[in-house]
Amino acid sequence: MAAYILRRMVSTIAVMAMVGVFVFLLLRLAPGDPAAMIAGRLATAEMIAGIREKMGLNDPMPVQFIRWVRDMLGGDFGTSIFAGRPVLELISQRLEPTLSLSILTMILSVMVGVSFGILASWRTGGLVDRFLAAFSALGYSVPVFVIGYFLIYFFAIRTHWLPVQGYAPIDGGLGPWFVHLILPTVALGIGYIAFIARVTRASMLEVLSEDYMRTAAAKGASSYAILFHHALRNAGVPILTVIGISFAYLIGGVVLTETVFNIPGIGRLVVDAINNRDYPIIQSVLILTSGLYVLINLTVDLAYTLIDPRIRY
Amino acid sequence: MIITRREIIKAGLAAGTAMSIPSVLRAQTAPTAARTVRMVMGDLSVFDPVVTTASVTFNHCLAIYDTLFGADSKFMPQPQMVSKWNVSDDKKTYTFELRDGLGWHDGSPVTAADCVASIRRWGQVAPGGQLLMARARDISKKDDKTFTIALQEPLGILLDLLGFQGPFIMREKDANLSPTEQVTANIGSGPFKFNQALAKPGASFTYDRSDKYVPRNEPADGLAGGKVAKVDRVIWENIGNQQTALAALQAGEIDFVGTPPVDLFPVIESDPNLELQVLDKTGQDMFLRINCLQKPFDNVKARQALLHLVDQEAIMRAAFGDPKYFRSVTSMFGNETPASNDENTGWHKTGGDPEKARQLFKEAGYAGEKVVILDPTDWREADNASQILVAALQKIGINAELAPSDWGGLVARRANKGPVEDGGWSLFMSSEAEWIRGNVVTAVTLSMNGEKGWFGWPQNDEYETLRVKWADVETLEERKALARKMQRIWWDYVPEVLLGQYVTPIARRQTLTDLISMPELIPIWNMQKA
Repeated sequence: MAAYILRRMVSTIAVMAMVGVFVFLLLRLAPGDPAAMIAGRLATAEMIAGIREKMGLNDPMPVQFIRWVRDMLGGDFGTSIFAGRPVLELISQRLEPTLSLSILTMILSVMVGVSFGILASWRTGGLVDRFLAAFSALGYSVPVFVIGYFLIYFFAIRTHWLPVQGYAPIDGGLGPWFVHLILPTVALGIGYIAFIARVTRASMLEVLSEDYMRTAAAKGASSYAILFHHALRNAGVPILTVIGISFAYLIGGVVLTETVFNIPGIGRLVVDAINNRDYPIIQSVLILTSGLYVLINLTVDLAYTLIDPRIRY
Repeated sequence: MIITRREIIKAGLAAGTAMSIPSVLRAQTAPTAARTVRMVMGDLSVFDPVVTTASVTFNHCLAIYDTLFGADSKFMPQPQMVSKWNVSDDKKTYTFELRDGLGWHDGSPVTAADCVASIRRWGQVAPGGQLLMARARDISKKDDKTFTIALQEPLGILLDLLGFQGPFIMREKDANLSPTEQVTANIGSGPFKFNQALAKPGASFTYDRSDKYVPRNEPADGLAGGKVAKVDRVIWENIGNQQTALAALQAGEIDFVGTPPVDLFPVIESDPNLELQVLDKTGQDMFLRINCLQKPFDNVKARQALLHLVDQEAIMRAAFGDPKYFRSVTSMFGNETPASNDENTGWHKTGGDPEKARQLFKEAGYAGEKVVILDPTDWREADNASQILVAALQKIGINAELAPSDWGGLVARRANKGPVEDGGWSLFMSSEAEWIRGNVVTAVTLSMNGEKGWFGWPQNDEYETLRVKWADVETLEERKALARKMQRIWWDYVPEVLLGQYVTPIARRQTLTDLISMPELIPIWNMQKA
């Protein structure tokens, strides 16, 4: 097991190195100039040139790359070109909203999605199953911003029950924090609920059709025991896999939801940085996100051993 | 150990109290909602007005810094930090004395040395400042409250330069930074203090009323007069999505949206709690910039063809929809500045004149060269207008195409002076506040100094000679006469084509009143919330 984890960690470093090179080149080769963005629409070429020189953007690309890697290895992820503040400080400010939204969405999606899937597989073709089919079609096909504005209209503008937008930090009290996250969590969660429910249903149906399930039923095991003790345990690996993948996607995919609900998270930080060509922020976020993605996958792989004792590394 | 039910309840209450302490403390120190205004002003990411020309930065600076002079609603410079001033008989030495009670938000007094350093830093970058520095013999303090500007020769528009686009006065140690190094201290002497503790870059910035600020006694008038902060706190929310901003305005979570989207105007107009209001009455002049260095527009006939081709009405309608908010413009100085005039504007024709344009392209020897229009897809109005333009060009047989990109891509590409085959460009659209066009000295787009000038690089020495004279004339009549001469050359040469003048209303809740009406800028003093 230890050797396996070590091997995976080494491969993580290799993946992140490749991401680093790719991101650096992509940003430098893409059209756009941070100096021109800072200087504004009516700036003169002279003003822009002065800013470029000051920021070191006139240095050859290999020099810029080596400087970036050297600083990063020393724990310095650079300074935002626009905000003039350390990138890690900006990222840490934005981490809480994104993690809050992601974790709440995952909790909602797993609880509702797995329950839905189990119920649908238990009574295939029944009311719950047909509702799930319709809900899944809706969850997959309606974009998150449509759901978002629909929720805003009814629950914020019409009824004033919930806020339209914004984020309340958790240190300001659990109540405001939770209230601000209800609508975004529901909007973002619907697609994931549909996904997890479909996979749970399919995995459960596959297991429920096995001979040993019939044997358990013949021995007089209750529906509860069949579903939760026998079927869910054996259907757990694919469900855990999609939960892991969903969470990893969620971390990088909250951009639209953060934009619609004006949540100052990592997603909006990156979108603003891309618009402004704020290279240090984009590079750092992508590196950290790719590292997180790899770590989540590793955690899921290790969790398999807890669910299925036959799996060993 | 046995835990009783009573102990669990006690522990729960204690935990709840502990968790709510931060919000209780915040509630005790924060102003009430009725004394707090929440505004959507744009993404403030650069805080230094010398580093950028972005208007959101200037709005930030208006809130926290003060200026020596302020332009009133008629664009006339009025003393602001200055209590009195005089000029020597030879008009070469100006002496300024600061008024009493000026202090920095860190508690130290404002001195003449701060003013001198701020003027010098501004003078290295801003067009008006560069003009002043080119004419200045010496700028120095006489004592803590007095400083002088000594000139090599008279500069008739000195007070105008200091008044509208002049320097924001910073502490000497901030103003001593290089103009390419951002000032991030955000310590000013203006009517509002920047609340550094509540700053959330990319999300929101908070401004608190400065209790120590001493406003002038005159009533507020444009950027002049008494800057009285009538609310305790102003929070600038950065809501990137306009639909969300409008929803928040409707729900009462915010009080003001700076640039509501045109297609949502009917929604705002139908809501009894909201109002659209045009604060910037002179608005923006939208123009088409032409690359004068490359074919086909290195030929004056081809540029004149564009002048005759453009149908301002069609372009403005595509860009802004409701004719209530736009009109045509023919003077290079805009419709409503003192220099506006009708000299050499016979080219204007409702609907444009495509046949004349086709003829002029033919006379220019146009041989199918590719015309590339830079199309900023994230600026909806210019994107729509670009579609109209490319169709009009193609209709008269011009090999025109759009080069779509975001604004960031456009500003990088427009610096390329090469041919379109090497990543260059032929045309792009931009806009400029009309009041800027009233002064050719500070409007960089109104120069014709070749490759040293603004993108497009037109060159005409006769025009430049007249432009230099602009700074010297003293009477309005002289300036108007000069403006006519310059406009004659301008429309013969055609360095740009005007596309129309538009105004953009702000959206606010009815409870927010007494906003100051100024072009492009949004001061946050004087406004009140019911």
